[in-house]
Amino acid sequence: MNALDLLLSLSALMLLAAFLFGQTRVYPWLAGILFTGQLVLLAGSDLPMAAGVGLEIFGQQVGWQLDGFGRYFALITIGAALASNVYMGGEWGERYQADGHSLRWLHAALAGNVLAMLLLLSSKDLIAFFIGWELTSWAGFLLMAQGGERALRAALRYVPYAMGGAMAVLGGLVLTLSWTGTLDLLELSRVMSTLGNGQLALLLALFAIGFSIKMGLLPFHLWQAPAYAEAAGPGTAFLGAISARMGLFALGILLVKLMTLSRVADLAFIDGLFTARDLLAWVAALTIVLPTFTALKQNDARYLLAWHGIGQGGYMLLGIVMGDATGSAGGLLHVFNYATYQAALVLAVFAVMHRTGTADLNSLGGLVTRMPLTFLVMLLGIIGLAGLPPMNGFVSKWLVYRSLMVEGRPLLFLMTVIGTLGTILSVYKLIHNTFLGQLRAEHEHIREAPWSMTVPMLALVILAFVTGVAPGLALSWVAEAQAALGLPVLAYTLGGIESPRGSLDMLWIVGVLFAGFGIGALLFYGAGGRSKRVHQLDNYAGGHFLSADVRYHYSDHFYAGLMHRIGPLYRGSFTWLESAVASATDLAASLMQAWYRQAVPALTLLVAAVLGLGWMVWR
Amino acid sequence: MNPSFIALVVALPLLAAFLLPLVPKVLRRLVGPLVLLVVAALGMALWQASLSEPLVLAVGGFRPPLGIVFYVDSVAALFVLAVALVTLLLWPWGGDASENLDRKQSLTLVLAAACAGLTVSGDLFNVYVFYELAAVTSYGLAAGSRTAAAQVATFRYVILGSLGSLLALIGITLIYFRSGTLNLAHLADLAPQTLHDPLGLAAFFLILLGLGVKAELFLVNTWAPEVYATAEARVSALLAGLVSKLALLVVARLLVLVFPLPEAREALLVLGMLGMISGEFAAYRARDIKRMLAWSSIGQLGAAFIAFAIPGPAGVAAGLAIALHHLVVKPALFLLAERWGGSLARLAGAARRSPLGAALFALFALSLIGVPPLPGFWAKYLLLSGLAAQPDNLYLLAGLVVLVTTVVEAVYLFRVVGVMYGREAKGEDAGLTNTGSANTQPASALAGSGVFAALLLAAALAAPLLAAPLGRMATQMSDGAAYVARVLPSTATLSGAAQ
Repeated sequence: MNALDLLLSLSALMLLAAFLFGQTRVYPWLAGILFTGQLVLLAGSDLPMAAGVGLEIFGQQVGWQLDGFGRYFALITIGAALASNVYMGGEWGERYQADGHSLRWLHAALAGNVLAMLLLLSSKDLIAFFIGWELTSWAGFLLMAQGGERALRAALRYVPYAMGGAMAVLGGLVLTLSWTGTLDLLELSRVMSTLGNGQLALLLALFAIGFSIKMGLLPFHLWQAPAYAEAAGPGTAFLGAISARMGLFALGILLVKLMTLSRVADLAFIDGLFTARDLLAWVAALTIVLPTFTALKQNDARYLLAWHGIGQGGYMLLGIVMGDATGSAGGLLHVFNYATYQAALVLAVFAVMHRTGTADLNSLGGLVTRMPLTFLVMLLGIIGLAGLPPMNGFVSKWLVYRSLMVEGRPLLFLMTVIGTLGTILSVYKLIHNTFLGQLRAEHEHIREAPWSMTVPMLALVILAFVTGVAPGLALSWVAEAQAALGLPVLAYTLGGIESPRGSLDMLWIVGVLFAGFGIGALLFYGAGGRSKRVHQLDNYAGGHFLSADVRYHYSDHFYAGLMHRIGPLYRGSFTWLESAVASATDLAASLMQAWYRQAVPALTLLVAAVLGLGWMVWR
Repeated sequence: MNPSFIALVVALPLLAAFLLPLVPKVLRRLVGPLVLLVVAALGMALWQASLSEPLVLAVGGFRPPLGIVFYVDSVAALFVLAVALVTLLLWPWGGDASENLDRKQSLTLVLAAACAGLTVSGDLFNVYVFYELAAVTSYGLAAGSRTAAAQVATFRYVILGSLGSLLALIGITLIYFRSGTLNLAHLADLAPQTLHDPLGLAAFFLILLGLGVKAELFLVNTWAPEVYATAEARVSALLAGLVSKLALLVVARLLVLVFPLPEAREALLVLGMLGMISGEFAAYRARDIKRMLAWSSIGQLGAAFIAFAIPGPAGVAAGLAIALHHLVVKPALFLLAERWGGSLARLAGAARRSPLGAALFALFALSLIGVPPLPGFWAKYLLLSGLAAQPDNLYLLAGLVVLVTTVVEAVYLFRVVGVMYGREAKGEDAGLTNTGSANTQPASALAGSGVFAALLLAAALAAPLLAAPLGRMATQMSDGAAYVARVLPSTATLSGAAQ
């Protein structure tokens, strides 16, 4: 048994174990050990890892093999699962069970997701890929559907999207087989780019639509925010961190490995002016901007983060579509970076929910004194999400910005900056409304979240910080992924990148940043360090002392001035489009039912027979 | 294996059906299942024997094309096995007055005999006889629940069915008029000279419409939703699962042997597409589970018609895969739906009251929409790759129809899963919900669909092993020349004589 067999067997074993005794206290420990074992195995194995087992079905070889690109995503997947597993292994899981939910099914769904994703990431041909793709979709559905009625409803909304995507992919798959005669990915990487423009364009459309749906690219993004936000806490973290990235993985394989970006750029809409590659770049850019500003309007912390998840996917795709060493490294690195702080942020929000019972941004505030560790996690997390130093989110975004500038795409660059601006505004809203300002009277006796919850959160933000200071640690995986995919490989150093056109050394940047803090501290303490602790409720406004019963925490209509300006720009066009499709389906369904309810079927039979005969004779 | 055994698969159930009332009461309940077991064993043996070479039985020793011919290739043998097994799983064990039960058991046995006869018949005359026999017994069974609604629905079914039989008979007469024979092998031999013209096609179309009534072909399937919704679940399962497939099989045989023409394929393709669209979309708005399943089965049959329209073994393989998959899934779903009647909203929380039933429903739904690695996926894969390989754009359009309707199918099936796993209705709505034991399945239904589920999972695990026999069966069935050579070893002299 070789490494990949072992990895997949371990994963399958966990799924079985979760079904058998996922509700017990032992399981999270076992799963923690197994996940860690998988991580070690994955990180320590030589590439490519090939599975010993292969099948032949209906004349097609089905096999599994993990290369550097797949391994990069696999590491993030298992890491996210490990953090979620620890989180739900303690008090959170007990509460979840006490509320009448099934912890066994939650663990099983998580293990099932990991197994499905590993199968997808290590697929060697399109059949194995499609099997992994569908399993990932339905395992994702299972994870989304748990956590109550609203979660189930949101998950059901995902079904038409997921199936639509899957059927587009399946259509692309059978056409590929018919046109090239093979489904093997390696073989396809040689022959697919030699197809004619028309065939290639149709394949691109089918596959790209299928993959964009999973990724939540515009205009197929509506399902994602509710489905991810309403899932059970650690499920939300796992889904948000990695699930949607399977779409990016697939797009990466399709655009870079199979079709090659230069071939995609051949597919022009207006000769030489606008190509399929430009279209993808602009879809990515719009996916950054529009969902980010939708996130700004959210009043539920979970929804706010989930909408950002959609927007952040845009940066990743944009980087990959740029196709140069810097941009693609930025896009890929962003997958890892985003997973670390997004998982931390989601877990922090659920820690707050665990203690206060709500994620409503209008009913929280001032929790910094009660949950300082959670506050720290959220603070570092939002710095990462906004893409500011010293967190790792800055590095990946910087790489993408630089690529856009160097490659001469100023308008796209402008879009990313607008997106980042929106991100900064909305994450400030998140932390302000949750942790800053006035503590509500009913939260007076709130305690910090238990260790089972704070440890994984802290571990994630520490990881985000360390890979922010020394991005070279993560860039080694990224370089491997680039090489496996056939992209130019980034020349990286421990602190960032070394390039004649502008280097980045995070060790210096962070050093200067902390030196600044140090000087500030020196000045403060050198001047005597006088400070006075004031009770949180000891406050005043307009010359009046305020007590706990006077509400002055400003959370409702946050950014009212900004919304006054940009509010009319929110049109709800996508929601309108979605409901239009639903109504059209309903209408078609009514018509079809009318056919089956007809009063005189015998007459129809007669007419049909006569018409059919006429047709046959006329032919 | 001695070909004479072929006659037993028809004769035994028929004999048992008529002798049933004479059997002593103690043994009476055992006769049917025993006979079906014997038929199943025969089917198994025939299948193994026929994989290498088809078996032919000239009844009474009259050499074809004069006498009655039974022809068993591996496909026919497999369907004999399926007829026996499915009938056994859907056997009316009890729950009725004794006299009524006798009738139902007799009718079910006759239906099994007619179905077996349809699969093995080698000439159109017998096909017509067995088809009529199947039709009449299914009218009886459909009206068997004795509710007014069932009787109204059956009346509509009878009218459509009789008109359909009439059309089929006209078609057969036309064929006889042109070629002077009804033996399929002989017809296959003569068809290029006598039947490949507008009149021959007209005959094919009439037979297609006629048999299409049972095969739930679009245009003549308007009886199906009401009958399936009002008949007993067991009967709906038999009609949707079994009888429809056998009518389909006969059409497919005619298409391969006598009418391998693009016009005939086109008719199948267009009607199949319309069937898929109308069935799946109508199911989207279905308000109760049995009608939903009925419409879904119309859609699935449409897919099978599309598959058989693909020329060559690829089409037959896809058609067989879809038909066999549906043969396993749909009866199981109807069995589960037995206690899930009425509005869909009443299913709220059904998963709590019947966890196994709900889980099985979800499993079958997943396979029906083709989620890998369940067998439904491979069926859909064969269908779509067959369609994509055709140069004609009409086939690509059919592929598009399959993809779109699958999405619709997933939405309505999972809407039901969502209702079952969702919260139970509270307050005012609580009155609508069946509480207590009201929608838990009876053990027999659960066991029946459990067996189907086991079959499905076994097929999923053994998919790589199933590919070879399926390919073999498809090649055998799609090889018209081999059929002729096997039934009429002295073909050259015969066609010489005809000219």
